[in-house]
Amino acid sequence: MFNDLDPILHSQLRLSIVSILMSVDEANFNFIKETTKSAAGNISIQIKKLQKAEYVKVKKTFKNNYPNTTISITSKGIKAFEDYVNNLKKYINPK
Amino acid sequence: MNKTNLTPEESLLLITKTIEETKQRFQENGHIIILWGTITFIVFLSQYILVLLELHKVMDIMWTCILFPLGGVYTYIYFRRKVEKKNIPMTIIGRTIGTMGWVFGVNLLILGFIFGRQLDKAAVPIFLILLALFIIMTGISLKFKPLTIGGILLNIIGFGTFLINTDYYGLSMMVGSVVGLIIPGILLNRANRKEHV
Repeated sequence: MFNDLDPILHSQLRLSIVSILMSVDEANFNFIKETTKSAAGNISIQIKKLQKAEYVKVKKTFKNNYPNTTISITSKGIKAFEDYVNNLKKYINPK
Repeated sequence: MNKTNLTPEESLLLITKTIEETKQRFQENGHIIILWGTITFIVFLSQYILVLLELHKVMDIMWTCILFPLGGVYTYIYFRRKVEKKNIPMTIIGRTIGTMGWVFGVNLLILGFIFGRQLDKAAVPIFLILLALFIIMTGISLKFKPLTIGGILLNIIGFGTFLINTDYYGLSMMVGSVVGLIIPGILLNRANRKEHV
């Protein structure tokens, strides 16, 4: 029914992750986990899918000897999100 | 949480809710605004008292040189800790307000310490007008009306200061810090607490 909606973004958790990344410069893994209230494994899988689609960039570093994963949205991801929202509007208010 | 058969309405609701939650987690609790209002108030109240005691020539610069830099150091440490320890990411609004704050602070230092003599009597009203612009823009960015209204009142006080005798400039600064910083800061603090109850 919703043919124009990007299948990568049309999933609850992936859409939540991209929505978070749209409002921040970059977010670390724990922040996404706390905000979405989802399991780490599930988030990890969804981030990999978003990364494969080149919608997000993942940076792995160390902070105080602990691994620190930060995720940011790419310009391709921003464009996909904007198109997704515009298509949603068309479905809600068809003219 | 991995539903894939979302309706358009559900998707839009999810986007709005997530963005709102992200903003709320970062939201400032107003204590930095109260801190700067209090510092400004104390500095000018102490200067007023020192003038009355005729000690201002010996001691008045001391307060300004101690309290304002201390406030700057505390603000820097506070935001650094917030970003690093609490894993709070920098939002676009946060970065904009932060940059405006530093630009405002640096401009004030340059105006006060380098061009203070050229500005002469105009220094205090100009300080209040610049502070008012910063408060108004912060209020608009945070969509918090009391801060915007406080900024507008401060702007009026700033222009009004041009019309009064220089003896009352300290009083003008004190009223300005209460109206433009302390009261809006307390209201922002309360609004933030209510959201987290």
